Formats: sequence, C-alpha cells, structure tokens
Amino acid sequence: MTMSMALTRLYLDKATLIWNGNVVTGLDALANFFEMLPSSEFQVNMLDCQPVHGKIRVFQEQATPSQTTVLVVTSGIVKFDGNKQHYFNQNFLLSAHSTLNNTVWKIASDCFRFQDWASS
Amino acid sequence: MSDAHVGPGVRYTPYANPTYRRRDSFHRGDQTRGNMERERKPPEGGMEGNRQEGTSRTWFKITIPFGIKYDEKWLLNLIQSQCSVPFNPIKFHYEKMQAQFFVENASTAFELKKVSGKICNEDNESISIFVSPSPVPYFEQKEQKSTKVKLIKKTKIKEYEVPQQALDLQRLHSDPDVMSHDIEMGPNLRNCMAVSPRIHEENMPKVKSEGELDKVKGLEPEEMCADRNPLCTTFPDKSTNISSILELFPKLLRLDDHEVPPSIIFGIEAYKKLPVCKGSVFGSETLKNLILQFLQQYYWIYDYGDRQGLLVAYHDEACFSLTIPFNSEDPAPSSLGEYSKGSRNMKKLKDSILRVQLLKHTKRDIVDFLSVLPKTQHDLSSFVVDMCVQTEKMLCFSVNGVFKEVEGICQARVCAFTRIFIATPASNSSLCIVNDQLSVRDASPTVTQGAFSTPVPIPSSSSVPTISQEQQEMVQAFSTQSGMSLQWPKKCLHDSNWDYTRASQIFRSVHSEVWEFRPTCNQGPTRPLHEVIHRPDNKNSKGAKVLAIFIILVVLPLFSGM
Repeated sequence: MTMSMALTRLYLDKATLIWNGNVVTGLDALANFFEMLPSSEFQVNMLDCQPVHGKIRVFQEQATPSQTTVLVVTSGIVKFDGNKQHYFNQNFLLSAHSTLNNTVWKIASDCFRFQDWASS
Repeated sequence: MSDAHVGPGVRYTPYANPTYRRRDSFHRGDQTRGNMERERKPPEGGMEGNRQEGTSRTWFKITIPFGIKYDEKWLLNLIQSQCSVPFNPIKFHYEKMQAQFFVENASTAFELKKVSGKICNEDNESISIFVSPSPVPYFEQKEQKSTKVKLIKKTKIKEYEVPQQALDLQRLHSDPDVMSHDIEMGPNLRNCMAVSPRIHEENMPKVKSEGELDKVKGLEPEEMCADRNPLCTTFPDKSTNISSILELFPKLLRLDDHEVPPSIIFGIEAYKKLPVCKGSVFGSETLKNLILQFLQQYYWIYDYGDRQGLLVAYHDEACFSLTIPFNSEDPAPSSLGEYSKGSRNMKKLKDSILRVQLLKHTKRDIVDFLSVLPKTQHDLSSFVVDMCVQTEKMLCFSVNGVFKEVEGICQARVCAFTRIFIATPASNSSLCIVNDQLSVRDASPTVTQGAFSTPVPIPSSSSVPTISQEQQEMVQAFSTQSGMSLQWPKKCLHDSNWDYTRASQIFRSVHSEVWEFRPTCNQGPTRPLHEVIHRPDNKNSKGAKVLAIFIILVVLPLFSGM
C-alpha cells in the first residue's frame, strides 16, 4: 500500500478536501490528489479542538445513529519537496462512527491553506 | 529479435562507506542546486555527451515501517522469500523506527512493492513495504572524482560526446574502458558514461531485461522505439512493458511512433508539482452572499459596536476558543499579549483544567470573553473564505484575513487571523453560530503592506462641528440604545438635523439586517432596533430608569421645599 492510499483511508466516502482553494471530493479524487503531491514534512505549532454542537450531523446517513463530530484546528510549517517552506492552516471535521465493537473516527472535511497562498 | 539497442545487464554489489545527502538536494526543480536542470535530448535515446547530468537514475528507496524491530539478515531473507525476483539491497540501514535500503531497478522495486503485507513477523503481524523513487544515494566524493576525471579523458577520445548520435549501448558496453571501471553514480558526474555503473564483463545475461534500460534512463530520451527491442521478453504483455518504459523514462514524448499522453507523464514522482493556489471557495453565489453578509454584520458589531451585541449571533450552547501559534524551538512569550492569555494552543498548554477553562461555552461566556479582547478593525477586503461543509442544517467555513489593533500600546499593529465558524441557518437569511475558533498571528510584512488599502467607510468625528450639551446627551442615548460607538451616532444625528426619530429610522434602514439575527434554535424573540429605541422601558435604558428615580426621590423633594 502506498502512503497516499493509507492517507485516503482516513476519509469518509463523501469527504471533501479544500487545498489552497482546490476542491477535491470523494475517495478516488483524494487518492489521486495525494498521489500527485510531492513528499512533505510537517511541523505542527498549534492545535486546538472543539466538540461540535450535538444536533449537527455531518453527512448523516439514515442507517446510523447521530454522529459525534469534532472540529480540529491546526497550523504550523510544511515543506514540500522542491518548494520553499510555507506556514499553513488546516482544519478538520472528524466524524465518529460507532459499531457494536468499536468507534472509528474519519475525516468528513479537510481544509488546508498556506498562509501566504496568494504569493505562492 | 535483434538487440541492437541494449547491452548486457548488470549486477550491483553494495558500495563501501556511502554517505548520504538530504533528499532535497536532488530535487530537479530546485535551481539553487545548480546541476539539476534537465536538458533536451535528441530522439532515439541519443545524447549530448558531456552535458549529461547523471542524476536521474531509477533508484528506489524501500522502507519498512517499524523495521527497527527486525534483524537485517532475517528481514531481507524473509522479503526475498516472497519476492519473485532476486534483489540486491544497497545500503541497508535503520532510520528512526524504519528499516531502509535502496534498489537500483524499477522492476525490482515493483516486485518488492508486491511483497508488502504478504510477510509476517513472529507475532504474525503483517509487515508493510513502502517503495518510493529516490535520488541516487551519494557516495564518497573522493572515489567519485577520480573516476569522473578518468572517464572524461577517455570519453573525449572515444567521441561518445558527439551530439545527435543515437546511443548504441552495445557499443558502449563492449568498450573495455567502460567495462573495467567501477563507476559510482553521483550528481556531479557530467558525462554519458555515468549512465553505466559497475558494468562487469562477466555479467552478460541472456535475458535482455528492463534492467538494461536503467542505464539509458539517465539520458532522458524523448523518443524511443521499444518494439524493436527484446524488452518484451520479461513482461507478460505489451501494456505492462509500455507502462514500465514510461515509468523509467518520464520525459518520453513519443513511444513507438505514438504520442505519450501527458497524464501518464504527469503522474510520475519526478514531476510532482504543487497544485496552483486559488482564492475563496464559496460553493455557490447564494452561499457567497449569505456568508459575506454574515461577516459584514458580525465584524461591524465586533469592530465598531459593543461586542455584547453579538449575543444574538450565538447559539446558547455555542463553543469558542482562541489560539496563537507556538513554536517549540522558540518558546519566547509572544508579542500577541492580550491574546496569549486566552490561548488554548494544546501544543503548549498541557494543563487539563486550563484547557477546559479556556474553551468558552455558552454565548454569555463567549461574548464576555470577546468583549475584553483588544479593539480591532478588520479589513473585509482581505477576507478569503473556504466553505468546507454545507448541509441543510449546517455551514462550516473558515475565514482568513487581517485586522488592525486600534487602541492601546499595540495600536496600528496588523495581525493575521484564521477563524472557523460552524453555524446553523436561522430565519431572515442569517446564521446562528454553534462553534467559533479563532487563531491569531502576527501578519507577515507582505501581508501588512497590502492591508487596509481599501478605505474603510467610517465617518470621522472631525466632519461634525462642536455640539451642544443637549445634543451630547442625545448622542449618548442613541449610542447606548443602538450599541454603536459614539462617532457613528453623532454623524447620524447630525445628518438628521438632530431629529432623534428620524436618525433612528435612518439607522434602522441601513442596518436592519444587523438586528435580525433571530436564531430560532435556542431563545426567545429578539427585538428589532426600532422597538428598542422607542420603548425606553427595557434593559438598555437602565440608566434612564435610575435617573428618573433619582429625580423623583431626591430632586423633587428639594423643589417642594422651596
């Protein structure tokens, strides 16, 4: 399994990534997108999270009970191969799916942006 | 089939004492490294002798996560047992938790990739293998230099640097000078001979395998005819063969007289580029209008009004938190003084009690907290919005922009922020905030320069002449009841000729949307502004009530005594 495939498995089927204004929806598109990205090294300098108010459901499916959702916010520095380093901001909405045996958290939405995106 | 275009295969033995440079230094796009630029090559695999940069070979790095647990010999034997081709691991080593080694052959790398998950350790846990293209592992320069010099001398004599000449590998490999050299690949080798490392005469394989093409790969041909070569023998079908060729020769534009689709070229590791960065993502024009209107209203109150006025914008059970960045290498107190006190950056803040305290919950707590943050002026024209989620019941979007501090010792300092709002739609096309996360940082110089270039339409007090005592009181009352700071009410009253009713009507018509935050999810009806102004008997005119009582109880008795 490649690294990008492993990353894609963290996302819900209908998840969306907005990467510096580029919208990527669905697992196939996500897999392609991550495959296309150069290798990177991240350094996280900030992390915060909040529970999303209970009645909000992200991508609620009929069959599942209400999902717990968490907002995760992070920022720091990233260096992609062949590019200068950038400060970035990223936020995730994580959605929990519980079965009888365990709970799985997956990314429902991912929003990433360089702080200096306009001059990139 | 003739083998006119390929030579003998090679066997590689581990190099002694190699040293490694960081991967970055090999990247093709990085101009500062000098000798990395690719050059156009004539078709048919021909090359221009001494201009060849022998840096883009088919080296692959094989990584075994958590490989540090395993003995080298045991691991390699295990992998070989499942691998359909023999492989020669170069420079096996452990790096952090991983085991790593290199192979110099794309087909070997392919086969090794397939082994991932098919092998298990003694605890029956499956072992993964990750494969990625790698720049040439860098070996001792001394050895390389001498070899390089020698070869250059030789090749000049041998005329291998004649351009436009189709490369005949057969010729090359039968050259005794080339064959006898242990040539190490490295980024500084500047001639075509660098294509062929360690060619030993005794290694004349019967199968004309893909391994031979590895040598040509460094030449970066743009056109090839593979169908006349015996390459096909190693692969079951033509399409696999073609894919392998394309993988090995990323710059190939034509193969067997057919154009290579750009999508195939594009996907290869060597050419990975970052996607172009774009601006705001709104999803639709309707959502754009909704969000922009919301932001205008929100920041109008946040910057110019009493922030208590934001109570109507939040859900009862809303959450808010604030962070400033923390760089563990530079943990000096931040210049973002007022914000750092409330920062809930969990990279820095480990105290679980504080973590709970700094997550503001309920709109009352949130608005009280916002009210003590420094006064600001946001540049709405700088806002970039990413609309992350939209469902019937929820909008999640992030806003990036800049603001200025407008009072205190840090006046005029420009800060950059990212704010994430999660909101539910409320009536009258407004939004009810359930989650709000703000992160603040110092703005970079380029950002600071561009900020606030659009003049902010706030009237200045200098445009209004001095006013009487009575007018002052009117301004004060208007300010208290509308929640707006003194400059605006003054201007508004002045423009309406100090007609209080008229002024309030003007204000209402201009800012009616502001007062129609009416979140149905949590609270009772909110009064629109005009009701607030014309009904003194409400919480906003507590002051008036006290004054009235004072007059009745204190002042009147004094008069009655006269």
